[in-house]
This record gives sequence, C-alpha cells and structure tokens, in this order.
Amino acid sequence: MASKSLKNLTAPLSGNNPVIVQILGICSALAVTVQLKPAIVMGLSVMVVTAFANLVMSLLRKGVPSRIRIIVQLVVIAALVILVDQVLKAFVYDVSKQLSVYVGLIITNCIVMGRVEAFALQNKPWDSFLDGIGNGAGYGLILVIVAFFRELLGSGSLFGYPIFEKLGLYELGYANCGLMLFPPMALIIVGCIIWIHRTINTNLQEK
Amino acid sequence: MKFNTNSNVYIIIYSVVMVVIVAVLLSLAALGLKPRQDENILNEKKTQIVKALGYDAATTSYDEVVAEALLLNADGAVVESDVAKVFEALQSVKDSREAGSFPIFKATDGSVVVPLYGAGLWGPIWGYVALAPDMNTVKGIVLDHQGETPGLGAEITTPKHQAMYPGKTVFEGEELVGITLKKGGADENNPHEVDAITGGTKTSDGVSAMIKDCLVSYVPYFAAAKATTEQVSNELNTENNGK
Repeated sequence: MASKSLKNLTAPLSGNNPVIVQILGICSALAVTVQLKPAIVMGLSVMVVTAFANLVMSLLRKGVPSRIRIIVQLVVIAALVILVDQVLKAFVYDVSKQLSVYVGLIITNCIVMGRVEAFALQNKPWDSFLDGIGNGAGYGLILVIVAFFRELLGSGSLFGYPIFEKLGLYELGYANCGLMLFPPMALIIVGCIIWIHRTINTNLQEK
Repeated sequence: MKFNTNSNVYIIIYSVVMVVIVAVLLSLAALGLKPRQDENILNEKKTQIVKALGYDAATTSYDEVVAEALLLNADGAVVESDVAKVFEALQSVKDSREAGSFPIFKATDGSVVVPLYGAGLWGPIWGYVALAPDMNTVKGIVLDHQGETPGLGAEITTPKHQAMYPGKTVFEGEELVGITLKKGGADENNPHEVDAITGGTKTSDGVSAMIKDCLVSYVPYFAAAKATTEQVSNELNTENNGK
C-alpha cells in the first residue's frame, strides 16, 4: 500500500480527526456515549457507511451533475444506511435493537456527507474508501473514549459490568456522578480531549 | 461524446435513473430479508413471553411453559384460541386493542402473560407482564422500546430494572392501580412502586401509564379467573376438611 493511501487511513485517527479537529458529528457523539457498547457498534456502523458512501460517490464522481450533487450524495447515503439497517435487522437482530433509532440517524451525521463532499468527489475510489474507513474509525475512537469515562464515572460500570461495586468503592462512600449521564458532560469531555490533543499537537493550535 | 453534465436534460435523466436503481435495490433487499426479519420478530415475542414468566429463554421453550394463547373481548370472554391468530393480533397490539380484541397467554402453572403497548418519549414502548395465578402479584416483566435514548430511557430493557417488578402487586383491594415508576426512588413499603430511571423520567412515566392502561382491559377476565381459582381451592379445602 502506497504511503499516500495509508495516510488517508491514519490521518483521521489523530491529526485530522473528524470529531476533535474537524468538529463534525458532535450531535451523535453526545447521544450514544452513555455506555460503551452502543458507542462501539455506532462507531462500526458509521465506519461502514462512510467507507461505502465514499467508494460509491468516488466511482460516480465524473458523471454526477454538480448542480444536484448534494441530492445524489444524500440518496446514496440514505440507501446505504437503509441497507445496513435491514441487514442488521435480519442477521443481528439484538444489535439492531440496541442501536435503535441511531442507525437511521447516521444519514444526518455530518462526517459522512462532509467526507463525500470534501474528499470522495476529488479522489480515486480506493483512496476514498480508505479515507472513509479512517474517518469512521477516528469518529469511533472518540466515541469510545467519551463513553469509557461516562459509563465508568456515571454508572460505575464498563460494558455493563459493575466494576466499582466489585472494587468495593461504594462502601468507602463513593457515589456515581449522575451528571455524567447527561449529554452536556459528553461535550465537556470532548472539550477536554480537544484540550489535551492540542497541547500535544502544537501545530493544531490557532494563533 | 462528452456530455454536458450540467444540462437540464442530463440532470433529469440522471435523477430518474438513480432513483429507479436505488428503489429497485432497496425493494429487493427489503423483500429478500423480510422472511428472516419476521422470523426474528416472532421468535423474539415468544422469547419475551417465556422471560416474562421468569424462565430462562435459552433453556426453556415457549411450548413448554405456555398452555394457551387466547384472544379476549372487552367482557373478558374468550373469542379466539388459535395460536396463529393470536400472534397475528400481537403484530399490532395497539390495533387489536382498539378493535376490542385482547391477546393473553395462559401458562401451564395458571399464571397469565399480558402484552403491553404504550408511548415512551421518542416512540412506542411495549412488553409483557406476567401475573401469578392470584391475578395480582407480578411474576415478571419484559420491557422493550423502539427509540428511547440508550443509557437513559432505554434502561427499561435491562435485567436490573426489570428485576424490581416481581413481587409487586397491581391491585389495591378491588381497584387496579398498576405499577408506578417513582422518580427519586420507590417507597419500600409501597407494593405498587418501583424506582424510575434516572434521566429517563418521560419513559418511566410512559411505562407506568402503559402498565395500567393495558391491564385495565383485562380486569373482567382477571375477576373471573380469580373466582375460578378461589372456587377450586375452596373445593379442595372442603374435600380435605371432609376427610
């Protein structure tokens, strides 16, 4: 794999992360990060959709009339999301129920359309596909980090396993932070991640 | 030949072709996957009924624990006892309820399972509640939802939440009170209350309302069933006394 193609895959994980650098897809990052499991499945679903939306749009890019390209993008993304939803319902019914309405809401995730518009329409299919995977993974990564802290501090558990209870922290007078269960805390955690991330990557700091 | 990709004719043809292709693709996928999806849904309903009765669905099958599937009318009389028809009514509990037909499942041990259907915060919520043969004590409950917020309202589906129901009672004397999901924590001495979900107050209210609204249609049936149970046990007592 050429190093340029590889960069499409790895850049969105940190230096060009969709959530903490491009500030895209914040809305769903707030909604599905109360627990780890839905956050992971949501990250994977978004990865599949961004990858294939990028691939399809990149294949179509020469023939798409630029005046209706946004509509074409929406049709492709919506069709993919419906397909993913149908397949999940038929083969992994439990997971599909866990994600409920958020599978449908992938359509409105800014990352998907953002990458199609910004990348897939100007680049070759393979590069676009990798870019889609990378961005989906970058999004999923932030979701998992946020969900880790929210579930651990808010419910005292990880993947539903009552970790604090087993450690006996409650007997020492510890109490779960109920505030963590509310969406504003996800925003604050995302803010903290951005803070740490920019402290390390000084080139991202605005002058 | 180089097309002008911005001419009106091209745009119109492009859109029509695109929409037709996508429509065909999605229809094929939907039709092809439908049997599997329906099977999943039917299996899930049966599993939920088994779970509501307090059995482990992995080891106990529906046929082992459920004796009869019935449709009742508003007076509590049995109008249909064909299993297929009852499950058909279960496809849309809301519609069959409005049509005056109420599905109920009788377990082999005399308990009953009643399907629930109501409104959560974002969409429908539903479930099954099992009542012991006294038609008052909750044996178990299974709750499910379409679009409640994961981690908040969707917590009604967790075993932790559902474990609070067994042993609670739905009647206060002769009056049906249902089970209330109490915000701020249930009063331990109140047999009709369980804890509400933190951050899921609207969903919790929806569950409280659903339990009461659904059970109320079965009150005539419960009364009749209770009378039968009591009669049987009285007869047994008399017989025993006679000896």
